[in-house]
Amino acid sequence: MKHESKKEPSNLTFSEELRQKMLGETINLCYQCGTCASSCPVAKLDPRFNPREVIKLALLGEREEVLSSEAIWLCCSCFNCDERCPQRVAIALAIYALRNIAFKEGHIPKIYSEFASALSNDGRIVKISKFVEKKRPTLGLPSLKPTGVEALRKILSTTAFEKLQQKEGEK
Amino acid sequence: MLLSAIERAKLLEPIKKLEFPTLKSALVIGGGIAGMQTAVDLADLGFEVNLIEKEPFLGGLAARAGRFFPTDDCAICIQSPASDVKTITHTSRKCVYRSGFSEIQNLNILTNSRVVAIEGAPGEYKVTIEKKPRYVNELKCVACDLCTAVCPVEAPDEYNAKLKKRKAIYINLPNVHPPVYTIDGNICKFQDCAKCVKVCPTKAIELGQKSERITLNVGSIIVATGFEEFDSSVIKEYHYDDYPDVITNLELARMIDGFGPTSGEVIRPSNRKPAKKIVFIQCVGSRDRRWNEHCSSICCMISLKHAMLIKSAFPEADVAICYIDIRTTGREHEDYYERAREMGIKFIKGRPTEITRDSETGKLIVDVEDALLHRFLEVDADLVVLAPAMIPSEGTKELAQIGLEPLLDEDGFFKEYNAKLRPTETTLKGLYICGGATFPKDAPTTSLHAHSAALKAAKFMNNGKIIKDQRTAIIDEEYCGDCTFCPVTCPYGAITIVPTNEEHSVARVSDLMCEGCGICVGTCPLNAIELRHSRPNQMLAQMKALMSINGTSKPLVLAICCSECGGTAVDSSGMAMMQYPANVRVMKVPCTGILQVHQFLEAFKAGAQGVMVVACKSDGCHYEMGSQNAEKKVELARVLLKEYGIEPERLEMFNLVFIEGDKFAEAARNMTGKLEKMGSLQSMGGS
Repeated sequence: MKHESKKEPSNLTFSEELRQKMLGETINLCYQCGTCASSCPVAKLDPRFNPREVIKLALLGEREEVLSSEAIWLCCSCFNCDERCPQRVAIALAIYALRNIAFKEGHIPKIYSEFASALSNDGRIVKISKFVEKKRPTLGLPSLKPTGVEALRKILSTTAFEKLQQKEGEK
Repeated sequence: MLLSAIERAKLLEPIKKLEFPTLKSALVIGGGIAGMQTAVDLADLGFEVNLIEKEPFLGGLAARAGRFFPTDDCAICIQSPASDVKTITHTSRKCVYRSGFSEIQNLNILTNSRVVAIEGAPGEYKVTIEKKPRYVNELKCVACDLCTAVCPVEAPDEYNAKLKKRKAIYINLPNVHPPVYTIDGNICKFQDCAKCVKVCPTKAIELGQKSERITLNVGSIIVATGFEEFDSSVIKEYHYDDYPDVITNLELARMIDGFGPTSGEVIRPSNRKPAKKIVFIQCVGSRDRRWNEHCSSICCMISLKHAMLIKSAFPEADVAICYIDIRTTGREHEDYYERAREMGIKFIKGRPTEITRDSETGKLIVDVEDALLHRFLEVDADLVVLAPAMIPSEGTKELAQIGLEPLLDEDGFFKEYNAKLRPTETTLKGLYICGGATFPKDAPTTSLHAHSAALKAAKFMNNGKIIKDQRTAIIDEEYCGDCTFCPVTCPYGAITIVPTNEEHSVARVSDLMCEGCGICVGTCPLNAIELRHSRPNQMLAQMKALMSINGTSKPLVLAICCSECGGTAVDSSGMAMMQYPANVRVMKVPCTGILQVHQFLEAFKAGAQGVMVVACKSDGCHYEMGSQNAEKKVELARVLLKEYGIEPERLEMFNLVFIEGDKFAEAARNMTGKLEKMGSLQSMGGS
């Protein structure tokens, strides 16, 4: 008989943890052919990101290094890599999963936490300056309506968003 | 144990010896290097051999390859036959056309032919061949080439990768076999033109030839249908269909061949100028879960061979190979890799994502990451050579359509009976496989395979008869409900449904093909099948005897094991003096596939407190499916036991191999311990 064990994520290898996060999709089949890297429009412009290296580090179990890296936040989700991977590794999906884990554990790039606090404070991810408000009518654009930030906060408070923000605050 | 053997022996019946005739003639399907060598071997041994090839010329894929690794010699060179052929010395290898191959008396070569039906039984196969017309008499043609000079019809020459044109009447190479021209019936204008007929000095051209059907009666069949290149055009990012300068290794082989369309020069097909920068891409459609999961195993060596041939003919050529892993595992193969590096061939570790084309210059650009440099390269190329996956050939697919489908694996290649021990046999007696039909292979391995298949076929036909015990299944035709479960389940194709006089059909077992495993017995929903050497009453008597006396204080356990790995695992625990409790009683059956659900219930009725089923690993059953079928039966029986109020844990299945005697002993102890805790089972007397 097969024995199913339910281990805590901390006891799992990192790639197994990712497999659970990715609903069974695995990165384990990656054989480092580099098709993803040469398909990646970001990697060619920014040396901080290379999907092949992200997957390799994850496979080697370098959990902290991957989660705290800037790399995983640079993927532009074009899915070229997913499309062309000969081993059908869902690379873009894996990067989403890595971002989820990183976010949960407080590895949040400043720009994202700024977006988050702007969203709950003003209801917009970018603060609108007086200059912009004055400029809009001259370009024939209607003036901005209030955002209804209270309603938005209510929605955010029923999701994990608020909790995550608190975590960011503690940091 | 003794008592049970006695009880079984009381019910045994004599098993007859059977004799089946086998014809001393063979059919070899496929005239590549595998087929040719098998045919020569069998002919040398004195059998009547028919070698058929679907193309007009022998040689198969190999004839296009030009040169071979690791010997670096010509692809169309074969060993001369040992048979007594006039004027031929049999000491050395020769080109096919001068090897004496065609003069072997008992070898009948049929080109332009394919198999359309296989009937009959092992030893007496009846095969129907369709031979398409050549329109040129093979005995009269002297290959003078006067016909091609007058032929007005041209077509791209597929044999030469469409790099040149050929006439409607043509020959692939001057040194092929048969050295006879052929007419392409799809484009020839026949009587509207007939210029060739007028010029032919030997009156060899016969435009009136028709397709004919030939029936061959053979004792055995050897399948040597080979492999072919995967169609790279489905990988859109490599633009094989759009860019003429993206070619495959087989097409490149034609260019490198001195006899080929470019006389050995490597050119860009788009403008026919010399190609100076050449990039190879490995694993095109191989090791790719979107197309073919397997490694085609020979493409690394082919690309290395080609890269070196180019580099030695044109040292100024810039040659690079983009690879994922370089695989050079055969004898002298690593030497190729070493020499390639020495010659200055570049290696880029990365699988390119795309080939693009500069619209102004027409140059190709290969977009690849060199993982070792961590650098993105855009490699310029005049010519890109793809190393496509090798996949089952058209010939293999045709045979699948006429009834050999069950002999194929999931990847479409012919499946060997056992990869370790019987690599050229199939589950069908008298049908053998060799060469690329089973998997892509290099020439040395293909030769080995070909000789092995010839030996197996010879052994099968040698006596002119097969002598076999009638340890087979028998169907009670009165009970058979022609449900067709058994013919589908039989791993050996031994059961067929035949119509009877009345208006229904019954299943019938071929005593020749039946291996006596009993999987059909376990499958039959009407209990209409029995094994002559292991009938249900014999098994029941044995079971009752084993459960009749319990000399121990522990609960009786019946361990039903198969006679293969499961049974030997039990034996090995004894041989290694491992202790397992005496209350565990062992009963052997041919294969656990024979077991039926009611037999488990009978075991409990006979007094067993627990039942263990010990079988081979589910993917290692000696009869293919038996172990897996038994697993299903055990599952079902456990559900039934629960309904009867019996703990399903009292019935358990174990899949073991010979060396796992310790696991059996441990399982027997655990089962005993478990049963002791559960307490005694109330008698099932009433059920």
